[in-house]
Amino acid sequence: MAGERAVTGGIASELRLPARASELAAAREYARGAAAAFGLDDDRCYEFAFAVNEAVTNAIRHGRPDEHGDIHLSVRADAERLTFAVRDCGTFAASTFDRVTSSERGRGFALMTRLMDAVQLCAAPGSTTVRLSTLACASRPAVELGV
Amino acid sequence: MSEDAGAGKRGHSALEEHMGFFYIGDEPAGDGVDVAIVAAGGEIDFAVSPQLRERLAAHVDAGRRRLLLDLSTVTFIDSTAIGVLMGAEMRVRELDGGSLALVCGDENRRVLRILEIAGIDSLIDVYDSRDEAISALAAAG
Repeated sequence: MAGERAVTGGIASELRLPARASELAAAREYARGAAAAFGLDDDRCYEFAFAVNEAVTNAIRHGRPDEHGDIHLSVRADAERLTFAVRDCGTFAASTFDRVTSSERGRGFALMTRLMDAVQLCAAPGSTTVRLSTLACASRPAVELGV
Repeated sequence: MSEDAGAGKRGHSALEEHMGFFYIGDEPAGDGVDVAIVAAGGEIDFAVSPQLRERLAAHVDAGRRRLLLDLSTVTFIDSTAIGVLMGAEMRVRELDGGSLALVCGDENRRVLRILEIAGIDSLIDVYDSRDEAISALAAAG
């Protein structure tokens, strides 16, 4: 069911979110929860949720939802990296990218890239995915207990 | 984190809209102060930024040349709201002596950081307090 929350240890979870602006707060909450489960500190959880909000906003404004009216969010994490994917069923038009980079959508992309360690855009016919990745190490001092 | 308490309630009703908390409203300036003050609070995202645009545009349309937007209690601001700020600044600048000032104190460092990363602080003056912003607006025009 859409809206079910299943972040467990930040390993892997999915959420289908109705493609409505009123759902953005839920997307941020989901992202913040995943970032916290991954072990990011409060500031980086905030930045992660900010970047996710931008990607979801783009999907709602410019993408196309699936047949149920949803966009797809998913979280994957291993020890080093937390990756959040936002997928819609639109076809990203590369020819518009120049226009995009100078627009509000472009501003969102620029902010994402400033705050994340990697931003990846995967465009295929009928599927546009933005993957946001952040590394654990910046907030996790390498504490080694003497053995 | 605190959102856990409410998380289980989500998704049970298609009618249930989970909007973030926000506030946008006009606030009175002091006697003899010709500054239109708009205060915003909470989460200003794409669901809300059109209301911010309308509120600021209403003042520009009414010919108010000095605008102050207080973001002190804003907890979240996205790129669409930042676009609204840029648009409002351009519109008010077209008025003779027009100027927009933002208030966002150091204690609101997360929002301040977003404004800095977005480059807003190089386009629109950001002040620590309303009094400072009002003084600067009065001196400018």
